[in-house]
Amino acid sequence: MSALVLYNYELDESCYKVRLGLSLLGLDWQAIAVDVFPGKEHLTPPYLAMNPAGRLPILRDGDLVLHGTEAILAHLARAHDPSGKWLPRDGAGFAVVMQWLNFSAHDLGITIAARRHSLFDSPGDEATLRAASSQAIRIMDDHMTARGFAQADWFAAAHATIADIALFPAFALSRDFGIDHDEYPALRRWARRFRALPGFKTMPGIPDYH
Amino acid sequence: MSTADNWHPVGLSHSIEAGSSAGTRLFGQELVVWRDASGMAHVWEDRCPHRGMKLSFGFVRGNHIACLYHGWQYDRGGYCQYIPAHPDLEVPQTIKVPIYLTQEQGGMIWTTLSGNPAPLPAGRDQAVPLRSLYLDCSAEAAVTGLGLVKLTPFVSRGLADTVVHHVTDTLHAVSTGDDRLLIGVQAVSETRTALHVAICGAPEVYEGPGQSHFLDWALQLRRAIEQPDLRPPAARGAALEMN
Repeated sequence: MSALVLYNYELDESCYKVRLGLSLLGLDWQAIAVDVFPGKEHLTPPYLAMNPAGRLPILRDGDLVLHGTEAILAHLARAHDPSGKWLPRDGAGFAVVMQWLNFSAHDLGITIAARRHSLFDSPGDEATLRAASSQAIRIMDDHMTARGFAQADWFAAAHATIADIALFPAFALSRDFGIDHDEYPALRRWARRFRALPGFKTMPGIPDYH
Repeated sequence: MSTADNWHPVGLSHSIEAGSSAGTRLFGQELVVWRDASGMAHVWEDRCPHRGMKLSFGFVRGNHIACLYHGWQYDRGGYCQYIPAHPDLEVPQTIKVPIYLTQEQGGMIWTTLSGNPAPLPAGRDQAVPLRSLYLDCSAEAAVTGLGLVKLTPFVSRGLADTVVHHVTDTLHAVSTGDDRLLIGVQAVSETRTALHVAICGAPEVYEGPGQSHFLDWALQLRRAIEQPDLRPPAARGAALEMN
């Protein structure tokens, strides 16, 4: 049995972030399917014992049980990436990756709420969720426009990092919650590069062809 | 702003890479802008004649664009050339996407919804791409806002006024001294406008630091138009010049 076990729901974009991380880092893992919708299995006692907040993904790495998407990505990069590139060790590189992981965990939460509202009818006002989501995505597009002028292709470093992994799903899945890619040219260019990374994989809602 | 006869910018050339596509709207009409593998840009109606799927969701292969639903492939003329479910079928010429005249100039992709338009006014200036600004206002309101933020010179020495020039109804310029920004105005709908901003000048002069310099102006302008309450009082000073 593989040392890395992901408690996974295929339609959850946060689980997708971890699946992307595992795949892009070239790791072997085992996925355990969790019946989130409609079964709410992630809210049953065995899962609440692993994450009292009642959210996926949860990663088991030997004796370590970890929740929190960005923490899981950081752990995978630190513990399982000998190249050290996915989470740079040096001061500024590390700090900027952390800044965008924080943006992912905090500011992009609204895109998760917007998508849940669209797909699973969770509570929320559609227009408000959409407006706030497009604001957050525009911050990313502004950043990548400026990065382009500095001849940089990725969010936080000269190469892809876990920041790019954490930020990709919100943009790639934005059509699920009614935001098209039309007005985000810098993110379109970035997403094309991201899709060309060895080990890239899609999820439902992200076309295989592009 | 006159509509059908005019040429309209639908994006910065730089925004549509070879082998890619994106959707946009002009007066509410959905368009796909795509660039084939040879680098030629195309503007079409954004609808596959088969099932109505947006072609902008599709994918470009060589000099064809294909629909994401069933892979129907269209050549540069808009004619369907291949239907994967019927590989031996010679596709009738009646299966065709409406296409629009397309030209590139001043760092922007231009189109017209007219079949017989006046020529696109010649502009031989080199241009360096900056930013497309998407705004929740009419094209008129966006143009009125162009002078709100003072332009800081990049190559020009000394102080000069920020001047807004009316070139055509869909092309304006904002200049200070020898620095000049081209502003293509796209009426996305009655209440949504895109300002496509390019720097007039040579890449060796403006690429990199020059782009970063003027990006700051573009983002300030977007903020000034979106949030009138936050406008600094000094921003009122720009002169408007009609020529």
